Amino acid sequence: MKTGFSVFIAVFVAMAFSWSGFVLGPVRQLGTEGQTNILNSSDIYPNQRPGAATLGLQVYRSYGCAQCHTMQVGQEGVVCDVVLTAAGNKPAAVSNLIATLQLTGLTKEQADAVSGQITAAGGKTETHIVPTGADISRGWGMRHSVAEDFLWDNPVQLGSVRVGPDLSNVGMRYDVNWELMHLYSPVSEVKSSTMPPFHFLFIKERIDGTPSPEALPLQGDLAPPAGYEIVPTEDAKNLVAYLLSLRVNVPLYDAPFTTLAPATEKKK
Amino acid sequence: MSNDSKDSMQSTTESKTPTVPIWIFCLLLLLLYVCGTYFDRNSGWFDDQVYAPFQNSDEVAAYQPVSGAAATKLEGQKVYSSICAACHGDSGQGKPGQAPPLAGSEWVNAADFKEAGEVPQLGLNGEVHVAGQDWNSQMAPMGAALSDSDLAAVLTYIRGSWGNKGADVSAADIKAMRTAIAGHPAINGETGLKAIK
Repeated sequence: MKTGFSVFIAVFVAMAFSWSGFVLGPVRQLGTEGQTNILNSSDIYPNQRPGAATLGLQVYRSYGCAQCHTMQVGQEGVVCDVVLTAAGNKPAAVSNLIATLQLTGLTKEQADAVSGQITAAGGKTETHIVPTGADISRGWGMRHSVAEDFLWDNPVQLGSVRVGPDLSNVGMRYDVNWELMHLYSPVSEVKSSTMPPFHFLFIKERIDGTPSPEALPLQGDLAPPAGYEIVPTEDAKNLVAYLLSLRVNVPLYDAPFTTLAPATEKKK
Repeated sequence: MSNDSKDSMQSTTESKTPTVPIWIFCLLLLLLYVCGTYFDRNSGWFDDQVYAPFQNSDEVAAYQPVSGAAATKLEGQKVYSSICAACHGDSGQGKPGQAPPLAGSEWVNAADFKEAGEVPQLGLNGEVHVAGQDWNSQMAPMGAALSDSDLAAVLTYIRGSWGNKGADVSAADIKAMRTAIAGHPAINGETGLKAIK
């Protein structure tokens, strides 16, 4: 074993090197992340998820949702749009000037130059910061995901395969009834869905007197036999609470964008 | 050279000491270059505030959306809570016997910001009548060291919060006022405040 010591050193160096890269580096970089201010506001982000949603994360984890769903929005670029907010005293001059300028998809330098020109002509402008990228044009999010978004999630369910859509903002897209129906029978909500139905998250119950307010409004082939109803289990309710708490809709310093209007919910 | 040394050289060649081929060096250098470029494009040099597509912290700072009024108000709130709030209260309600209220104060809500701007720059000692009450306390020139834009932001914040209805104050206004009142001693009560031109 003349080489024993050098083998030990070599193995140690290799392990230490990868440990530094995969553990020490990320912890030094992101280990101190905490709550932060929403841009141009004194509100704090992110807030602790509601209790049911925290339990729902464990349901999400236990059924392996992250095998098919990611929770990370990518962003490929950022552009500036110059928007005229007031035409000033010489509207004709300003509108003639604007007709000759490109106002959207600019870099910051170009946007500053353009707004300088318009301001010189008497108009007032605002520069909107607009993230771009495939995920964002699909409507999966407004900006890239950052470490703060996952502050309260343990373990973080980033996922890496997109058999289904990204869920970073699923709470902004649907409401509780849609989510429950979709879990019970995905195809009835999204025709082309390949998601398996999660019937085991629901119970078939005999209706005892008055029907439960939580019973799913099932029709046609899906409807249970007369006198029975389908109600969600605690797991299903917690999972839906978690899904509805997924909304990454605020600008942060490390993920800047201009909020044009309050985020609206798309309801079915 | 003697025969001995020639023999030993030959034997070294024959024993075939393993050598690293040159192409591995080239490959490693190439890999190093690619990794370096990748880090440069994507890591922001390990800054936790920099994510792709931003390449460094300057770029992140450049692309912050600055919405005029909201940004000023936020800045003003920051200055207020770090300097003014200790005496005048978090919501401008003042402190009995120590500092008069700013919420609903006739000096703060005046049409121009003359008094509201002078007091933090020069300080105020002595009697002053605020919101139906007489006050007799001392205020140091807390705002003298603030930058024009910070003082303008905090005045805009005070004049626009807690039900106050004063107009906004710009940094240029403050700059003009600074030159006008430069060298003025601390204000002596309400009479002194009204006396400043």
